[in-house]
Amino acid sequence: MTTSQTTTEVARPPFWRDIRVIRVVGQIVAVVIVFFLLRYFYGNLIENFNRLGISTSYGFLSSPTNFRITYHESFNPRSPVWEMVLVGVKNTFLAGFFGIILASVVGLFVGVSRLSENWLINKAAMLYVETFRNIPPLVIIVFFGFAVFFYGPFPIFSESWEFSLPGSENVFLILNKDRWGIPGFSEIGNLTFFWVVLALGVIAAIVVWKWRTRMFDRTGQPHHRVLWATGVVLAFSIVGYFVTGQPFEVSYPAISEDRRVLNGGFAINWGFISVTVALGLYTASHIGEIIRGSILAIHSGQSEAANALALSGFQRYRFVILPQAMRIALPPTINQYLNLVKNTSLGTAAAYAEITALTKTSIGNGRPTFQSIVIMMAVYLAFSLVISAILNVVNQRLKLVDR
Amino acid sequence: MTASAPVLARPTAVQWARKNLFNNWWSGLVTIISLPVLAYIAYRVLLFVFVNAQWEAVTRNLTLFMQGTFPRDEQWRLIAQILFFALAFGVGAGTNSASTRDAAEDAGLTYIKGTIFGTFRRMWSLALFIGILLYFATLDPAGAWYNPFLLVAAVAVMAVLGYQVKWLPRRFRNLGWVLTGILLVFGFQIVSGFDAGGWVPVGLILAVTAYSAIAADRFNNRWIAAGVRLAAAVVVALTVRFIYIVVDTTGVGWDFWSGLHLTLMVSALAIVLAFPLGLVLALARRSTLPALRWIATGYIELIRGVPLIALLFMGQYVLGFLLPQEVSLSSITRAIVAMSLFTSAYVAEIVRGGLQSLPKGQTEAGQALGMAPPTIMRRIVLPQALRAVIPAMVGQFISLFKDSSLLTIIGILEFLGVREIVHAQPDFRGVAIAETLVFVAFGYWAFAFAMSRESQRLERRLRVSR
Amino acid sequence: MKRIKLLALISALMLVFTACTADGNGDDGTITTAADGGSDENGNGDGDGDSMGSTLDAVIAADQIVCGVNDGLPGFGVVDDAGEYTGFDVDFCRVVAAAILGDANKVEFFPLTAEARFPALQAGEIDLMIRNTTWTATRDGQEGANFLFTTFYDGQGMMVPAATGFTELEDLANANICVLSGTTTELNLTAVFEARGIAFNPQVFEDNTQLRPAYEGGTCEAWTSDASQLAAFKSSIEGEGGEEQFIMAEIFSKEPLGPVVADGDTAWAQAVEWAVMATVQAWEFGLDSSNIGSYSGDDPNIQNFISGGDISAGLNLPADFAVQVVEQVGNYLEIYEAHIPALGLQLEGSPNNIWTEGGLMYVPPFR
Repeated sequence: MTTSQTTTEVARPPFWRDIRVIRVVGQIVAVVIVFFLLRYFYGNLIENFNRLGISTSYGFLSSPTNFRITYHESFNPRSPVWEMVLVGVKNTFLAGFFGIILASVVGLFVGVSRLSENWLINKAAMLYVETFRNIPPLVIIVFFGFAVFFYGPFPIFSESWEFSLPGSENVFLILNKDRWGIPGFSEIGNLTFFWVVLALGVIAAIVVWKWRTRMFDRTGQPHHRVLWATGVVLAFSIVGYFVTGQPFEVSYPAISEDRRVLNGGFAINWGFISVTVALGLYTASHIGEIIRGSILAIHSGQSEAANALALSGFQRYRFVILPQAMRIALPPTINQYLNLVKNTSLGTAAAYAEITALTKTSIGNGRPTFQSIVIMMAVYLAFSLVISAILNVVNQRLKLVDR
Repeated sequence: MTASAPVLARPTAVQWARKNLFNNWWSGLVTIISLPVLAYIAYRVLLFVFVNAQWEAVTRNLTLFMQGTFPRDEQWRLIAQILFFALAFGVGAGTNSASTRDAAEDAGLTYIKGTIFGTFRRMWSLALFIGILLYFATLDPAGAWYNPFLLVAAVAVMAVLGYQVKWLPRRFRNLGWVLTGILLVFGFQIVSGFDAGGWVPVGLILAVTAYSAIAADRFNNRWIAAGVRLAAAVVVALTVRFIYIVVDTTGVGWDFWSGLHLTLMVSALAIVLAFPLGLVLALARRSTLPALRWIATGYIELIRGVPLIALLFMGQYVLGFLLPQEVSLSSITRAIVAMSLFTSAYVAEIVRGGLQSLPKGQTEAGQALGMAPPTIMRRIVLPQALRAVIPAMVGQFISLFKDSSLLTIIGILEFLGVREIVHAQPDFRGVAIAETLVFVAFGYWAFAFAMSRESQRLERRLRVSR
Repeated sequence: MKRIKLLALISALMLVFTACTADGNGDDGTITTAADGGSDENGNGDGDGDSMGSTLDAVIAADQIVCGVNDGLPGFGVVDDAGEYTGFDVDFCRVVAAAILGDANKVEFFPLTAEARFPALQAGEIDLMIRNTTWTATRDGQEGANFLFTTFYDGQGMMVPAATGFTELEDLANANICVLSGTTTELNLTAVFEARGIAFNPQVFEDNTQLRPAYEGGTCEAWTSDASQLAAFKSSIEGEGGEEQFIMAEIFSKEPLGPVVADGDTAWAQAVEWAVMATVQAWEFGLDSSNIGSYSGDDPNIQNFISGGDISAGLNLPADFAVQVVEQVGNYLEIYEAHIPALGLQLEGSPNNIWTEGGLMYVPPFR
């Protein structure tokens, strides 16, 4: 409000119009108001809790949950509440992480398609964007569960489709209405040393990455830093695998004799798929528009210059347009990532055990409401802070590139 | 671009296809692959909508979807509300187009008239939704006590009637906006009732109008001027109060609203209530006073860091504890509080964006004229910044409108939540679950799509006028 | 200077507004739902018969009862296509209104989720809750709730598609079991399966609108809920030509459902409880909505029941409350027949039959 500090008068103004006084007094007043507001709420809270005999302690975190969590066999009703919170955090993270990957890929594809010269692709992408971004994500999640799993083409669990590669009896894909199976790894030795080796590999890869970048800056040779870094990590993991005594093996999914249990491999449940894909598609419609806008914001001269250099359509996008468009698109896209992570809180609509659904169940089963919600909000704030931190780093780096 | 394009002969279908579908081998391949996929999707959708779907669960419960458990014998209030809103919409649109015309005349430009057809084209999704509602209404054997076609016609008549304010002379422009505001408040109160503090908004609008309508330079002494204007404002406010005492009637409070009506009203209320707080927060965040900035930033980041559902839970289960024992808020009131607090953080960021987008020269020009900082803010910065954020605010409203579907998770019967009571009825117990979901999804889509079109148009117009 | 004038304008207007709103009672132009239910709390420790500050007074003053119900439970609380609440639980809300206010329609129905019901009761948002709420020790003790006469004895059952051939819980090892969140059903399920050492996967849903497609689609292999609900969905699924369903014989929990009021308000609790019990007594006497008004027999007990004189005095109920209840809503049998057989449940042999027929519907004598 008092944005200006220019005082042209020579004579000192009366103290109530003195900008320095106003600044100090204004801040004190604001702080006092906020302080008293918070104290008022806190006082009421304590008074009401005392009156109703509600505890404000977090001791319930170590008491048993008394319920099971879908698809978490190791979690039993005697597991403490804090373990439930961890499961919720893990599931929220998984849905958010894979949702972000899906949203980015689909969003990029849709954004580019929206600018395609091919009429059909262009219109299909437009239809997709206008449909998905104007329907509440909650409805999309519910709808996805219906369309794909409940009324969809897949068989029930005991009659799962099992696919195996020709010439191998190992199943590599199991599809049904319930839990999908894909190959995974199973631990047969001590993995600790392997993780150490892998961590060393990652550090080495970063060093190599830096080195390639410096080489590129100095000599202009193609850096191939992605290839190099991947190669280093791969080399470390292969060597590490044998050096540490082959601590794990590939495990293939298999359905038990009684057709009830999915053993081995990596199981993906329908709730996770519904939440991840539905939110991925919803967010992709927003990201698609961001990318489209960013590409349009690139001066057409860039495209023409690329044409003049006889770059192919793909090369034009890959080397000229997208690198520039990404710089414009990244900040709003990361905002969309944040939204996606927050929207995983709708997982309860697909019976997915993320932190909100678990908190809700836990409250329904008699856990203290206030503390449970505070923990839940803290979890989301932590996720948001991490994403905001990434956004800040990205913004910083973009600024450096900016000329 | 299109204006300067030379007139071309209409291409034949083959030419068109070659240019737009098969312009290179890559594009052709994509076309050939995607065409059957898209055709199959379209086939399945059409098959479902026109052949397989059993729409009876929707047609029989159409009123339930629209107004939920709102008392049926008070239904006339909703109809009156729709008519008032239509009139307000007409008056607003008329005033808006008239002031655009004035501005064009002042600048010596020709004013291109918008057409009703144009409005229709922008709102086609909404028109389609209303068309479907009308069609469904005719399928319902019991039907409503009013003729829905007549209602739609009356709405159109009211809107057109209101639009005629554009023929009023120029000095009534501000009155047009005042009238729009009062009609909106009235439309709201025809449902919620005219009792309690309901007269305050109307009283405020009219009092401020009266205050500013009396020109200060007519008086010699500015204290007398201030006194007269103040007296006029107070008299108007008291008159309004008196009128409200006379018409004092109890309506149907929002605790009894549900269905699509609740969805729309809750989103509108939340954004209206969030705006003042959001504005203050935005100004505080841009302030040079560190304490204000920290408080505002802390609040905004805290709220933006958590999902709406967490705040709704807070509202439902914790808000009651934060207030004294005597205060008991209903579940919808608590939801509205939670949604307003949530939205205010986003509104603050939008307004901050608008403030930032303003060139610094504007403020400096104000300073050069010797204006005090608050005056610069009020006269120069805010009018421009707020104008610039209108499209983003519409966007925020759309997202709020979509987010209001979360109310169903806390057991409030908004548009999506009505499905649950429909499917508990003996006839539709678990029947046609997909149909009702499709209907609801389409309803959300129709509104959100129309509003997003409108926001894009506003954005274009603002960019052009800049 | 201008700013000062504006400030003066605003403060003057605010003065006017506060002065004028002070005599108004509301704050936001809406009807207050609860009839000043907040006063329940200070009803604590009030003596019997002394109804000072009781919800009863508030209800009579407001001439309306706010009744918390379920809006999505087939047979018990449903909103029909005319927007009216109907169902077994809903009718008992009407019973209370008929008894206390003399008009069965003076009820404001307040839909509640499973999670929100006890907070709503504690906060006094509702006067009375009849929302298929199981009477348990912890709820009675910790939730500040006072459970009254059980109107419906239910129990948790398990439904599977008949084609699976499963007949007992042990068959469901490692199966996906659909259940609603935040209910005793979920806890019972876990407790029973844990006790027997059966592994299972709960699929926790918010409401039946989502649960049923999951069950029918085969994502869940079994559905657990109160037996009355399972019966309702069994008949509904089979009625639409769906797969044949099988409800296991074993009922693995006790679910006594009835009206609930806030703790510490004896006058109100008594009034509600006796109003509800009058329906069972009328059934026992053979009185129903068609004949109670024209009763001309000589049974002094029945005459007393109808005239109400001695009965109603200490209960804070009007003398004719029993007649009002039965005439306007019906006796227990009529209420039951109106809603429950349609779910596919029969009265014969169920605990909800009258005690003379071997059921559990047994009320203290009205004398």
